[in-house]
Amino acid sequence: MTTETSSALDAASAASDATAPSRSALIRTIASREIWVKLHDKGFIASTIFFLVIIVAATVIPIMINDQTHDYRLAAVGEQATAVANVAAGLHTSASSGDVPKVTLTMSSAPDRAAAEALVGGGKADAALVTDGTALTLIGKDAVPDDLVILVKAAAAQTDVTRVAAEAGLSSDQVQQLVAPSPPTVDLLNVQPERAVPPILLVMIFGFLFYFAVLTFGISIAQSVVEEKQSRVVELLVAAVPVRWLLAGKVLGNTALAVGQVTLIVGVGMAGAALAGQSALISQVAGASGWFLVFFLLGFLMLACLWAVAGSLASRVEDLQSTTMVMQATVMVPFFASIFVTAPGRLQEVLSYIPFTAVLLMPARVINGTAAAWEPWVAAGIVLVTAALFVILGARLYEGSVLHTSNRTRLVQAWRSARGGAA
Amino acid sequence: MPEAHLLQVRDVVRTFGDRVALDRVSFDVRPGRLTGFVGANGAGKTTAMRIVMGVLAADAGSVTFDDAPADLAARRRFGYMPEERGLYPKMRVIDQLVFLGRVHGLAPAVARARALELLDELDLGDRTTDVLHTLSLGNQQRVQVAAALLHEPTLLILDEPFSGLDPLAVDAMATRLRARAEAGVPVLFSSHQLELVERLCDDLVVIHEGRIVAQGDAAHLQQERAGARIRISVDGGTDWLAGTPGVRVVSQGARGAVVELIDGADGQALLVEAQRHGAVREFGRVVPSLSEIFREVIR
Repeated sequence: MTTETSSALDAASAASDATAPSRSALIRTIASREIWVKLHDKGFIASTIFFLVIIVAATVIPIMINDQTHDYRLAAVGEQATAVANVAAGLHTSASSGDVPKVTLTMSSAPDRAAAEALVGGGKADAALVTDGTALTLIGKDAVPDDLVILVKAAAAQTDVTRVAAEAGLSSDQVQQLVAPSPPTVDLLNVQPERAVPPILLVMIFGFLFYFAVLTFGISIAQSVVEEKQSRVVELLVAAVPVRWLLAGKVLGNTALAVGQVTLIVGVGMAGAALAGQSALISQVAGASGWFLVFFLLGFLMLACLWAVAGSLASRVEDLQSTTMVMQATVMVPFFASIFVTAPGRLQEVLSYIPFTAVLLMPARVINGTAAAWEPWVAAGIVLVTAALFVILGARLYEGSVLHTSNRTRLVQAWRSARGGAA
Repeated sequence: MPEAHLLQVRDVVRTFGDRVALDRVSFDVRPGRLTGFVGANGAGKTTAMRIVMGVLAADAGSVTFDDAPADLAARRRFGYMPEERGLYPKMRVIDQLVFLGRVHGLAPAVARARALELLDELDLGDRTTDVLHTLSLGNQQRVQVAAALLHEPTLLILDEPFSGLDPLAVDAMATRLRARAEAGVPVLFSSHQLELVERLCDDLVVIHEGRIVAQGDAAHLQQERAGARIRISVDGGTDWLAGTPGVRVVSQGARGAVVELIDGADGQALLVEAQRHGAVREFGRVVPSLSEIFREVIR
C-alpha cells in the first residue's frame, strides 16, 4: 500500500524535522496563539474600535465646539436699535474681542415691532431688537441665545457711553479710552507650565485605560486558561510544554496585546489632537505618558499571573465569576484611589508606594509635579519586586490547579499539589 | 529499516490522598506491536497513561523510553490521545493542528503540510478551515487522531481510541495503528471492548485495582490459560464420550462436545478413540476468549 510506504518515509524524515524547540520558541508559540485568537475575536476588535472612536471624539469635539462661530440673524426696528445692532455686529472684530463671544450677526430691518415679531415667530430671524424710544427690548421666540444677549448688552452700553460722552464734549480719544479701557495685565510669581487639560482629568483617563485594560485582558487570560482546562487541551499541552512556560506564554501574549492596545489608543488620541492643532495637549500628554506606560506594564505583569491562577481555579467558564471576584476588586482599588485621592498629601504619598495603588498614583504625582525625581524609580522597583513575587506564587498555584479538571480547586489544595520542581 | 523503540514502566506508585491508584505497576510496550491495556473502570489505566505522558507525576518508580528516562524532550515526541478529548473548540481545524505541531517542535510549514496530509487521509480535506466545534463528534475525534499523529510520534499512548467510533471508523483506526506499529512505533491503547482488543492486539496488559495481574503476548497468554479442555466433533455423534475413562463431558450438543481431560489423561489417546467412532471433524484445545481470561484474572 502506498500510504504505508509514505508514512514510513515520513517517520524517517521526522527525526530530522522535529528539532527540540527552545524555551523561548515554545513561549513565543503559546503567546502568538493568544494574540492570534484575540485578534480574531470580534468582541476585542469592536471594543478597540469603540475606544478609538471615543478618544477621537474626546479630543476633537471640544475643540470643534470651542472654535465654532455662531451665526445669528438679528432684525432691528428703528434708528436707535439699528445703531446698537451695528455696534454689536462690529464688536468681535474690535480690540476687546477676547472677551466677546465668537458670533457673527446678519442684520435685517423691520418697519415696526409687529413685523419684527412676525420675522422671529416665522423663524426668519433668531431675535429682534426694538425700542420704545428709551429702553431696548430683545425679542426671542422661546429663548434668546446667551451669546446674543451678552453681545447686545455690551453694544447697548457702549452706545450709551459714546452718546453721553459726546454730549459732555469729550474728544474722540477720550471716548475711546472710556469704551475700551485697557485692562491690567496679569503677572504670576510662580509660573506653571501651560496645561491644555487639567492634570486630574489626565490621571482619570489614564486610570480608566489601566482599569479597562487589566480587567478585559485579565478576564481574557482567565478565560483562556479555563477554556484549555474545560476542553482538556491542557492535557495535550502539558505533555509537551512545562506548565510554567505555558503560563509565561499566556501572560506575555496578553501583555503585548494590552500594551499595544493602550499605545494605539493614546497614539490615535494624540494624532487627533495634532490634527485639531492642540500642540499644548500633545506635549503635556507625551510628557506624562512615559511613567504611566512604565507603571502600566509593571502593574499589568503583576496582576496577569494572578488572573491566570483565578482562571485555573475554575473548572468551567461558569465558575469564573466567583474565582475572579478578588481580582476584579484588586483592579478596582487603584482606579478608585486615583479618582478619589486627588489631593496632594500624606495619604497620596503613602498610597503611591503601595504596589496596587502605586501603579496609578505615582504617575499621577509625577503629572501633578508633586513627586521628586527619584520617587517614581523607587515605586517602580517596589511594583517590580511584587510582580516577581506574584509570578512565582502564580506559577506554583497555576501548576497545582490547572490539571484538576473535575471541580473548583481551593487555593490551599493548589499550593499543596504543585509538583515541586518536576519539569 | 524502521527504528525500534521500547517503553518500560517500572514499579510506578501513585496515590491520590489515601487511595492507591497504582501499586508498583510495571509493564513494557514493545516496538512493532499493538499493546492492549485493559481493566475495569477505575482500575488505573488512565492514571498510568497520564504518568507515561508526564501529565501526572509518579510518587515512585520510573518510566524509561529507549533505556533513558522519559523526560520532556522524549515526551514531546510521543503522540497522545487523552481519555477526555481535548482541542480548542473555537479554533479552526488547521490552525490548531499547526499550533499543536509547533508545540511538539515542528516548523510551522512542516506542521501545516503534515496536518493537511493527515486531514486528507482522514477524509476531512474539505473541513480544514472550519471551526472545530461546528464539526460532528465523529469528525472532531478524527481531528484528535490527527493531533496525535501529526509529529510522527515515536510512541503512541491512546486512551480509549475506539470509543464513539462506528464499525468502519474502528477498522480505519485499527489499520492506521497497525501501520504505525509496523513502522517501529510502540502503541499502547486502552479499551473496554474486549473483543476488539482480542482481535487487534499483539500484547496485553491487564490491570486490576492498581495492580498488573497479567501481561505479555496475547496469544501466549490465551494458550497458557487454555487448560485441559478440548472441543471435539465426530461424524456419527459423541455419545460414546460418556463412557470414556479420563474424560469429563462439560457440554454436549449437535455440533460437538467440550470435554475436560482429568487425572492427566492423554489427549492423543482420546483422538485415536474418536477416530474409531467416525471421521473427526474438529479436535482442538479450547482457547479462552479475552473476556474469559479478564473475568478470571480479576476475580
